[in-house]
Amino acid sequence: MKNRKHSLTKHAKEIAIRNLFGFFAFLSVLLLGLILVFLFREGLPLFKQISVVDFLFGTAWYPTYDPPEYGIWPLIVGSLAITFFACLIAVPLGLLSAVYIAEIAPAGIKEILKSIIELLAGLPSVVLGFFGMVIVGPWLQETFDLPTGLNIINAAVMLAIMAIPTISSISEDALYAVPREFKEASYALGATKYETIIRVIIPAALSGVSTAVILGMARAIGETMVVLMVAGGAAAIPEGIFDAVRPMTASIAAEMGEAPFRSGHYHALFATGIVLFMITLAFNLIADYISNRFRETGSGTL
Amino acid sequence: MEKDFIIRTKNVDFFYGAFRALSDVTVDFEKNKVTALIGPSGCGKSTLLRLLNRMNDLIDGTRVEGEILFEGRNIYAPDVDPVEIRQRIGMVFQKPNPFPKSIFNNITYAPKLAGIRDRGEIEALVEASLKQAVLWDEVKDILTKSAMTLSGGQQQRLCIARALAMKPDVILMDEPTSALDPISTAKIEELIDTLKKHYTIIIVTHNMQQAARISEYTGFFYLGKLIEFNATEKIFTNPDVKQTEDYITGRFG
Repeated sequence: MKNRKHSLTKHAKEIAIRNLFGFFAFLSVLLLGLILVFLFREGLPLFKQISVVDFLFGTAWYPTYDPPEYGIWPLIVGSLAITFFACLIAVPLGLLSAVYIAEIAPAGIKEILKSIIELLAGLPSVVLGFFGMVIVGPWLQETFDLPTGLNIINAAVMLAIMAIPTISSISEDALYAVPREFKEASYALGATKYETIIRVIIPAALSGVSTAVILGMARAIGETMVVLMVAGGAAAIPEGIFDAVRPMTASIAAEMGEAPFRSGHYHALFATGIVLFMITLAFNLIADYISNRFRETGSGTL
Repeated sequence: MEKDFIIRTKNVDFFYGAFRALSDVTVDFEKNKVTALIGPSGCGKSTLLRLLNRMNDLIDGTRVEGEILFEGRNIYAPDVDPVEIRQRIGMVFQKPNPFPKSIFNNITYAPKLAGIRDRGEIEALVEASLKQAVLWDEVKDILTKSAMTLSGGQQQRLCIARALAMKPDVILMDEPTSALDPISTAKIEELIDTLKKHYTIIIVTHNMQQAARISEYTGFFYLGKLIEFNATEKIFTNPDVKQTEDYITGRFG
């Protein structure tokens, strides 16, 4: 009798714990859902005034003029250009540092490098922005004789510094996860360490590495403070890498405070937020798809 | 007739850190014969096997003493490139470990590293290697498919074919059938029997019947020491050492 009572309370405890965990798991989903609802509720009314095509591909962003123009194409191009150049810098650096840490570095150096890269991830973006503004900007301006040092390339370099830790640490995990058997097989076939890394380890880790790259890109495109500080802020389609741009995130952050509540400008900024959300969602879906696809064919089965 | 020994070890000691995994192992492996290494788990037989192609180099904190001669040359001499040794001494592992690449590219891995680029030569090599490993008929129509789609036994024969494509002199096998079903095991054993015409085979096995079936020589290891090395028939019918007899008759191990 006593025993049964004991097991009953134990059972009740199990259920309570399960529900508690379930509640917290769904809480984050619920919060995301609510944010989305809010985003769409505030953004969609814009399309009573202007068509989706005119909004996305309009080349003039003059939200405070009369009549206002809400074309965000220059902002999209600005975001994409900065992200593209940031990746051009961050992908090779992040990947190479991951390979070095995972496969080449001796144990001591490995630990030091890992903690430095983690530190880089913890660097507040406003500090990086400040660095870009007062050091890199003036240097660019003087060296290349530019009207302003706050431009695409400056922002790209700063964003690359932010994306490297993401790319490096996720790639590193993927490289570690390559089964030892593959490496042994390669060495036993007379491959050198570098041949093994290039022909076996990196291809086997490709799904994780691709995920790392895409998450790094998502990180770069969503970053706000750095681009607000160093991208230059010009809402015009850039013609070169030394042109100033105004990425979507910077536009939202800079203008939200001055846009009258529920005005066209206010709705346009929320609609820009929807576009940004769609882009990062697409990046995440692609990352997910790639990692699943490669996992199926890449894993060893007996 | 003078026997032709392709690999000889002389007073080999091996340490993992402070742990002595092998002590004073001296053994000669005859050319174009199958030599089996048997003994209970942790007796050092796999460790010895992995010393013969310098695979233990990949483990940090290990140390070798003594000499291992391959065709008369000490492979642990400072001027020897382990990569070159591994090209001449192939290895097949306990768990089939094909690369997650196509069947064709698994076979061409080593030849391409060796600089063979000619398409015709590569294709001929793939066919010859797969035929030697008695896998050709099963995979000739699916060469571009992933090696991961093969069964465990096919994967292991692919790994043997992959090692053969390197044209080695010696093939080391580390319990090659322990992860396989009896039918696949029988196929691999048949294969070993045909391969010994051209290759020297050294095989570590937990399965004493297997050692008795396929090998000409057998070495019995216990606690890092080579207890007895002799013709297989002698080891299994009338061993010199009591410990060997106890192990073979199942009294311990």
